[in-house]
Amino acid sequence: MKDSTGYRVFKVVNVSALLMIVFVTFYPFLNMVAQSFSSQGSISAGRVNLIPLGFNIDTYKVVMGDALFWTSYKNTVIYTVVGTLISIVLTTTFAYAISKRHLKGRNFFIAIAVFTMFFNGGIIPNYVLISSLGMRDTLWAIVLPNAISVFNLLIMKSFFENMPAELEEAGAIDGLTTYGILFRIVLPLSKAVLATMVLFYAVINWNAWFGAFLYLDKSSLFPVTIYLRNMIAGATQATSFGGSSENVTQIAANIEAVTMVLSVLPILCVYPFVQKYFVSGVMLGSVKQ
Amino acid sequence: MADQQAVTGTADQSAATVQDTSLSPVRLSRLGRRAHKSDGSGPGDKRTRKAKQTWAAALKKDWRLYTLLGAPTLYFVIFKYLPMAGNVIAFRHFSPGGNIFGDYWVGFQYFQMIINDPTFWGVFKNTVILGVLTLVFSFPMPIIFALLLNELRSQRFKKIVQSISYLPHFMSVVIVVGMVFQLTSLQGTFNQLLGHVGVHAIDFMQQASWFRPVYVSSEVWQTMGWGAILYLAALTTIDESLYEAARIDGANRWKQTWHVTLPGISPMIMTLLILNIGSFMAVGFEKILLMYNPLTYPTADVISTYLYRVGIESNNFSYATAIGLFESVIGLTLVMSANSISRRLVGASLW
Amino acid sequence: MRNKPLRMVAFSAAIGLAGALSACSTGPGTTSASPGNLASVSVGAMKNFTAGEAFKATTPVSFSMLYSDQPTYPLKSDWLLFNAITKMANVKLKPTIVPMSDYSAKRSLLIGAGSAPLIIPKTYPGQETPFIQSGAILPVSDYVKLMPNFEQKVKQWGMQDELNDLKQADGKYYVLPGMHQQLWPDYTLVVRTDIFKKAGIAIPSTWDGLKTALTQLKAAYPGSIPFSDRFMAGATLNIASAAYGTAMGNGMFQVGDGTMFNKATNKFVYAATMPQYKQLLAYFNSLVKGGLMDPSSFTQTDDQAQAKFTSGKSFVISANSQNVVDYETAMNQSLGKGKYSIAKITVPSGPAGNIITGSRLENGVMISSAALKSPNFVAMMQFIDWLYYSDAGQEFAKWGVQGVTYTKSAAGVRTLEPGVNFLGLNPSGTKDLRKDYGFSGGVFSYGGSTDLLQSVMSPAELVFQKAMASKTAQALPPPAPLSESDQAQATLLETPLQDYVDQNTLRFILGQRPLSQFGAFVTELQGKGMNTYLAMKNKAYTDYQKKN
Repeated sequence: MKDSTGYRVFKVVNVSALLMIVFVTFYPFLNMVAQSFSSQGSISAGRVNLIPLGFNIDTYKVVMGDALFWTSYKNTVIYTVVGTLISIVLTTTFAYAISKRHLKGRNFFIAIAVFTMFFNGGIIPNYVLISSLGMRDTLWAIVLPNAISVFNLLIMKSFFENMPAELEEAGAIDGLTTYGILFRIVLPLSKAVLATMVLFYAVINWNAWFGAFLYLDKSSLFPVTIYLRNMIAGATQATSFGGSSENVTQIAANIEAVTMVLSVLPILCVYPFVQKYFVSGVMLGSVKQ
Repeated sequence: MADQQAVTGTADQSAATVQDTSLSPVRLSRLGRRAHKSDGSGPGDKRTRKAKQTWAAALKKDWRLYTLLGAPTLYFVIFKYLPMAGNVIAFRHFSPGGNIFGDYWVGFQYFQMIINDPTFWGVFKNTVILGVLTLVFSFPMPIIFALLLNELRSQRFKKIVQSISYLPHFMSVVIVVGMVFQLTSLQGTFNQLLGHVGVHAIDFMQQASWFRPVYVSSEVWQTMGWGAILYLAALTTIDESLYEAARIDGANRWKQTWHVTLPGISPMIMTLLILNIGSFMAVGFEKILLMYNPLTYPTADVISTYLYRVGIESNNFSYATAIGLFESVIGLTLVMSANSISRRLVGASLW
Repeated sequence: MRNKPLRMVAFSAAIGLAGALSACSTGPGTTSASPGNLASVSVGAMKNFTAGEAFKATTPVSFSMLYSDQPTYPLKSDWLLFNAITKMANVKLKPTIVPMSDYSAKRSLLIGAGSAPLIIPKTYPGQETPFIQSGAILPVSDYVKLMPNFEQKVKQWGMQDELNDLKQADGKYYVLPGMHQQLWPDYTLVVRTDIFKKAGIAIPSTWDGLKTALTQLKAAYPGSIPFSDRFMAGATLNIASAAYGTAMGNGMFQVGDGTMFNKATNKFVYAATMPQYKQLLAYFNSLVKGGLMDPSSFTQTDDQAQAKFTSGKSFVISANSQNVVDYETAMNQSLGKGKYSIAKITVPSGPAGNIITGSRLENGVMISSAALKSPNFVAMMQFIDWLYYSDAGQEFAKWGVQGVTYTKSAAGVRTLEPGVNFLGLNPSGTKDLRKDYGFSGGVFSYGGSTDLLQSVMSPAELVFQKAMASKTAQALPPPAPLSESDQAQATLLETPLQDYVDQNTLRFILGQRPLSQFGAFVTELQGKGMNTYLAMKNKAYTDYQKKN
């Protein structure tokens, strides 16, 4: 049917508004990327806009030329993959179980999850716990303590609750157990939310540094976030007796920008895959009478 | 802090919901709400209310579901509840290096210190105001953005816009604050624009009255794109046939949005709203710390930054824990209230 | 003067949410060793360790220590520093590496959880306070009798007053501070000497002179604002306040707790209520009003201020010794090498005279109480004494091993070996003194005699230091340590008072509040509990006087 004039006007306004949003979000980002490739003089003179000026990759060279950087990067990848996997498994199983309204004690389980959103023990008790479990300087200290995000959990639960019961009932009639229903019916239909959760957990794990700072003492185990944080602190701290290695000024000028680029790059690569699952709702294979 | 990070990191999640498509097309106005009755009176949920089951019967029937609960529950107990015992130092005197459970009981002394501290109430007020403002402005934005994106015909343009919009989420606080300072400086963009319309330059960062708008705007800017992801995921699950039915009934795009789209994502909206209400007290510590200065303390100083300044001098962990508990209780109360209000009003709730 | 870079303590307060769990016993526990009875903990110690003597443990010993890892020279276990220590002193150091960015937070955590190493360096005076009450930290003053070099330096350099300042209410101090023989003024103003010369303006030596110079600059360059400051003008306020006989500065540049000691009345007063304070406010207000000083100085980021200076828009800015190099590097690019010249000026003098502020103390070492349980305790104290406080030890930590990293002439002039570079002193060197050998690192090398410190300074810096040597250090306030029970109350009073002072200082300077209301401001401070706080402080002072 033909669009009304009102709607056509709206479409134009919409596109302009969205272009404006693109500008407002993309420009600062591109500016940072440009700065990461610019010389310190151009940056401090404020002349860098969208194009790198005084093309300079010293900071990249210093960072990426350091073997420790690559070790840290590798660590981050491992932590992210393992952490996301564990998180998804724990979150999905718990969310599915508590999404069953008939389950006795359901409210109790929801409560124990929600309560942890607001109350936590604090740094020292957590540290002492991890220490006593002998998990310090291990992968587990990174991936376990924050495995379940109750936020994500509640969202998944909401999602499962709103799945049509007929789908599962059909499965039960076919003789599937709870596990079967979960794996053969529910999960395949939950691709959108699973993809989103994978993305969210992956991003959290990717950017996490606090657990590593608390529980890791060996620099060979540090994730890349700690490595970069330390570089930033080292470059920008005005130490009265600190030295200037040749390019400290250059590094100080754009280490933040370089850090941003290095941190975002993987997400930029992963995101298109996730986006695939957001495309049109046909995949749900709606249950037609 | 780790948990603050976890909360803010996940503050914008939601999940897709599934349209109940097994209903025959009915009046649009009822369709949306019918399809999302999550109070247990939808189809197939007959068993919710009656018959108090015994535990034995429940275990026998649902033992598999309980097994699914096993590992996560263990996780909660070990990694969340065990350390929680440490909060006891809010009621005991604690000195770092001494007994980690504290040295001796002091009862509510620290809470009394809080209540009697006039500065605390000032920063509490600021925290609440900033939290509410952030909620009011940055909560609807991702939704509106998602809806606008939804109206785009070109899928490619839509994907591009969406992929770019989330980039600010990945900019560190330092970068964002640096940008804010640049924009608001006397020679910065905003003042240049003001100059064009003949208004005298304002040093925004030195005016207490400007802090809130600047802070909230930066929050909106940073969270809009990323927050929209979940809504977009939710939007994709709305069945096309409902739009068809609406079109046949003569609804224009606006009515379609109102009667199909919005109801389609309303469970998501409610879930996120409740969760965000619970965490609204956790206004960004690091961002405010970098953005504020003594001139803007009256509006910018929040509980966490105040604690930071007090903390350096005294390192009074018990006091800090007491404040933390105070905030936690508020947060929990808010979520529970929001949840029950939501359940009563709209029929959607977290539990 | 509190000199804690913001980042270093950034998350210390975040650690405030704490609790605990575990069977770990924390706290000092019982030990048989005490200041009077050290027989059981003297394994490996030298019998007659005297000042100036090289330390060598009689049996191989090893000590755990916390190490703040600087990204510019990350720790390498094969550093000559460690090998030489093992060879010379028979000591094996076991560092727990913590990235510098999170050092103070991790330190708090480790001490709080009871798993701190024995030696905890990079502790600024004042940072040890939270850990005292629990007994987690050794009252090191009880054991300095084991440290002849330390005691000798204290006597030779007259550091007793400074040490007294570190004493807690129990009369003991808990940190071994880094010591400078002479006050080492770090912050001052940097000016564009070429512009000054071109406009025929004299380099000012007083604050009024500075104002004149700025006025002349503005006349010569009408559209400009000559002085745009960094550090949120904190450094400038700080150095000016000393010359005016008061104390001003916020955040990192806050002077103590905002009080000053009035010798005449023998009482502490709030610096912000002093007439000199008002005078200083009026001075800076006149600078801002006259368009001589950029009002944004007080709130802009360092990057913004630096950009203005290095691009030639402003001509005066604050700096510490490190910054000058940064500015030059930037200006070589933006203005072109040779097309400009900058230099530090000596800190201007003011109405109170040629007075500078600062402390001869700097970061030092804390010892964990657990060290008393180690049989090697005495040896450890002797080792620390040698490494950090003996001339030989300090020279070693800074310069390295003679014949390998440096040579020393008969006259005592030290030069780097040909292949070794440090801070650009030997550009042809391929190896770096810090990165490859571990010397001159911040964890082991700091403070020391003037001769030693100046041995690595550039000629320009030496000129500056010599000029500054003629100035007098501001008198230290007498100690007035608060009891632990008062401490909590005091902080809760102090913070809002300090906030109000900071806020109004800026408002007066920027003209947001007329100086005629200064009296009202003082009254408002009283309403915020200033008198209560001062009463507490003065009582602590008189109590301490009675006891000591």
